[in-house]
Amino acid sequence: MFNINHSVVLWNVALFAAAIVWLGVSEPSYLTQLVVWSAINAVLAAGMRFVLLIGETNMASGAIYGFAAYVTAIAVTNGFDVVPLVVVTAAIAAGVLGLLFGWVTLRVKGPYFMLIGFAFTEVVRLAYTRIDYVGGNSGMVGIYAPMSLDRWMPALCVGICYLLVSGFFVAEKSSFGLLMRAIRNNDKVVETLGVSALRVKLVCFCMAALAVGAAGAIHAYSYHVISPGDFSFLIPVYALAYAKVGGERHIVGSVIGAIFLTVVAQVVQGAGALQYVLFGGVIILTMLGVRGGLLDMLGWVACRRRRAGAQRIGLPKDRTSGELG
Amino acid sequence: MVTAMALIVQLALNTLQAGSVYVLFALGLTLIFGVMGVVNFAHGQFFTLGALLTSVLVPALREAFGMGVALAFTFASAISIVAVLALAAVVYQFGFRHYLRDTVGSFILSVGLLLFLEGVFLWVFGGVPRVVPNIAPGELRVFGAAIELQRLVVFGIAVIITVLLYLMLAFTRFGRAIRATAEDAGAATLQGIRDKRTLLYGFMVGSFLSAASGCLTAPIAVITPAVGNDYLIKGFITIIIGGLGSVPGAIFGGLTIALIESVVGYYVDGTMATIGMFCVVALLLLIRPQGMLGHVQH
Repeated sequence: MFNINHSVVLWNVALFAAAIVWLGVSEPSYLTQLVVWSAINAVLAAGMRFVLLIGETNMASGAIYGFAAYVTAIAVTNGFDVVPLVVVTAAIAAGVLGLLFGWVTLRVKGPYFMLIGFAFTEVVRLAYTRIDYVGGNSGMVGIYAPMSLDRWMPALCVGICYLLVSGFFVAEKSSFGLLMRAIRNNDKVVETLGVSALRVKLVCFCMAALAVGAAGAIHAYSYHVISPGDFSFLIPVYALAYAKVGGERHIVGSVIGAIFLTVVAQVVQGAGALQYVLFGGVIILTMLGVRGGLLDMLGWVACRRRRAGAQRIGLPKDRTSGELG
Repeated sequence: MVTAMALIVQLALNTLQAGSVYVLFALGLTLIFGVMGVVNFAHGQFFTLGALLTSVLVPALREAFGMGVALAFTFASAISIVAVLALAAVVYQFGFRHYLRDTVGSFILSVGLLLFLEGVFLWVFGGVPRVVPNIAPGELRVFGAAIELQRLVVFGIAVIITVLLYLMLAFTRFGRAIRATAEDAGAATLQGIRDKRTLLYGFMVGSFLSAASGCLTAPIAVITPAVGNDYLIKGFITIIIGGLGSVPGAIFGGLTIALIESVVGYYVDGTMATIGMFCVVALLLLIRPQGMLGHVQH
């Protein structure tokens, strides 16, 4: 059963429409690129969080993301310039890779699954360096959308990312989402009801792979150049950091975390070694200081402001109490 | 012309030498996971710190006190290990202590530490590759195969540390406390084992193994602030093959990946060797998901 909060939906649609209109009328610039990168990272974080709902950490998302980016690059450099078709093709290719990987590895769980995904991402990256057709170590260049779409690409990319994140939200709130949470709690209990936990996990993993694949295609279009070094184990690591730093409790946390850390990464970019120090420091501080992530911190600030406002107008204390869950 | 016998012996020697360092590194990872339930991505940074400090201190000690290379290496390794243990104590006390048995939380924290420490190492040591002078010049020839004497020394020390660790875990009171805590922390506490202290010591022993493998790698490899990442990947493949939390599994896994690296590296190249390791892991997962010597995870 859905509990639709109409004001949230309206705010969402209004913000989305405003962003699309702004991106549509603006000349492509650094700022519009920053919005696109944040949107891509939000999809990666939401995809990571989606698999976390079944209790698994998907470290293979780096390989899947990179695979889709390479499929896009191959398609574009061979003359296929229908952007939606290329994105869908790359997503399907990523989904198939996810299906194969998941079919082999989802028999294990917990740290085993996490580590095999980590190794898979690194090995796929190494494999690109050995394939001359995809440019080996140098990678591929010239991944451009048609000139006529140039102005609309940021809006199109953000639109696709918004739909993907919304798709995750809808899936999470559906009966399938309940099944995923039940599997995280105890997959043996779910199996006693005649549901194949492996099949549910596989479907969940493939859904995440499809979305991450679409994000990979957008990555290729937005950077125009890709190389094996872009798809190391840091991709899933950052995705996990976005989800955790933003707050794992709600999908909005993944989006907030992705925007926050993408901006931080841009601010510290060019600082050399300091870039790693600051980025790592932010993750450590968030993990040790605000366990519920930025989402809980924002909730705490809102709660304090509500309480302070209520005390000003003299409301009784019990009307204002709202401890964080 | 290399004879078949000489080639087999050469590959076996390479496997044993490289495998001994992988085993040490993976033993640390598997011990920390077994005791604390933490997948420690910062393990590679402890290794890097050990290797970097050794590579910096050996020339410095030689210049300051006129020591021989072997003696300077011994002192440099001791100082490096103490430095790594001090860092590990801080990391445990302020970080991992709050995320015991939380695989995802501790993993993110360790990733933050990985990035933070890699940045600090780049900042402090710079990105220039470093080399330690040969600690034992000369080579040994066995059935036509050759091995550098310093590699033999590294292999010998690694074997001694592994055997000592095995004996400690198997026969001492402290070893039994670690194994009991790894098996069931609650039951161990009921038996009077101080679990918090055991967890700290377990983490310190794991970090010591990482630092020791870093120090031993310094004379036989080119050391950069990113050297730990390669070992981390191989370390994880090792413990998947052997089984998480299994000491014999880490030994078996370390030797297996060293064998693949030696053979495929000889006939093809190092990159294909790493890809080959992954193929072995994928096959293994189909046949025996819990690793060769691990337990099924329920």
